[in-house]
Amino acid sequence: MVIRKKGKIVMSISIGVSCFVLAMVMFMQFKVVNQTDITSIENMRESELRAELSNWKEKYEDVNARNEEVTKTLQEYRDKEKSDNETSKLLQKELEQINVELGKTDVEGEGITITLKETQNNDTAITADDLLVIVNALKLAGAEAISINEERIINISDIVEINNSFVKINGQRILSPYVIKAIGPQVYLESSLLGSGGYVDELKSYGYEVSIEKGSRININKYEDEIKSKYMQ
Amino acid sequence: MVYLGIILGSLLGAIIGVNAPVISYTYSSYLAIAVIAALDSVFGGISSVLKKNFDLKIFLSGFFCNAILSMLLTYLGEKLNVDIYLAAIVVFVGRMFTNLTIIRRYYVDKWSDKIQKKEKNNQALESK
Repeated sequence: MVIRKKGKIVMSISIGVSCFVLAMVMFMQFKVVNQTDITSIENMRESELRAELSNWKEKYEDVNARNEEVTKTLQEYRDKEKSDNETSKLLQKELEQINVELGKTDVEGEGITITLKETQNNDTAITADDLLVIVNALKLAGAEAISINEERIINISDIVEINNSFVKINGQRILSPYVIKAIGPQVYLESSLLGSGGYVDELKSYGYEVSIEKGSRININKYEDEIKSKYMQ
Repeated sequence: MVYLGIILGSLLGAIIGVNAPVISYTYSSYLAIAVIAALDSVFGGISSVLKKNFDLKIFLSGFFCNAILSMLLTYLGEKLNVDIYLAAIVVFVGRMFTNLTIIRRYYVDKWSDKIQKKEKNNQALESK
């Protein structure tokens, strides 16, 4: 009887222990299954990982193709922009050049400065005609920019004598001494005025004081007024 | 007595299992097959107790050997790319049902015996 009871106790304990192990492992497993997040890659099975990998690869290829496309388009735009930029640069340069030639900018360069001055023993003042002759002579000699008393001579500049008493250039009255600046080939400019039969000689013979200076950096101001065109088309 | 052991062991195991650290999902299939094997062994143990041919050595060796063997089979199946653990599950669950039938029959027989005894007693009382 005692032996039977002992055997029963051992039996119960052993089954209890096995149940203990079983329940423990079971609950651990429940926990694992519960806590497993399907998105966490570490816990996934190989087949699942494969499927996921191929999925991502597909997506990657799609995106890559799209990226290439967009890059191509971008490159096209860039090329276009570049060419546009070049065109605009060229136009800008041209515009600047035209402005320089029109006389709308201050310019600098080698040339000569002529100063005309009346002296006490003159009975007549220097006239606009004298200035015109000098300007024409300078133009003929290849002057690129001319100004008289800082009044820029452009293609439509006027040099007129008003009432035989004062000279107007570009509508502005100017007074003696007249300082004529010209940018161009120094030698030609000078010789056009100084040579035999040159106008400077003639002026000097009238008794005016004329001096010519050569300069490597002559500054000529821009034409101050607006250049309007109303009838030109 | 046996059932007390089962309940106590299960409760203790549940408490410890809940507080145990989480193992990686990779090994969860081994754990699952071990659970099935252990469950089968426990059912076998109970049925053997009821049949009065319980042997501690056989029970314990069966408990651990089944669990370990099933885990090894699962591992082998993984290496061979064959789902061997399915065969193990089929065997274990089939045996579980057999054992459950034995347990059920035992108690049903016990119950019906009791009713018969009661009826006999009643008849004896009536005849008196």
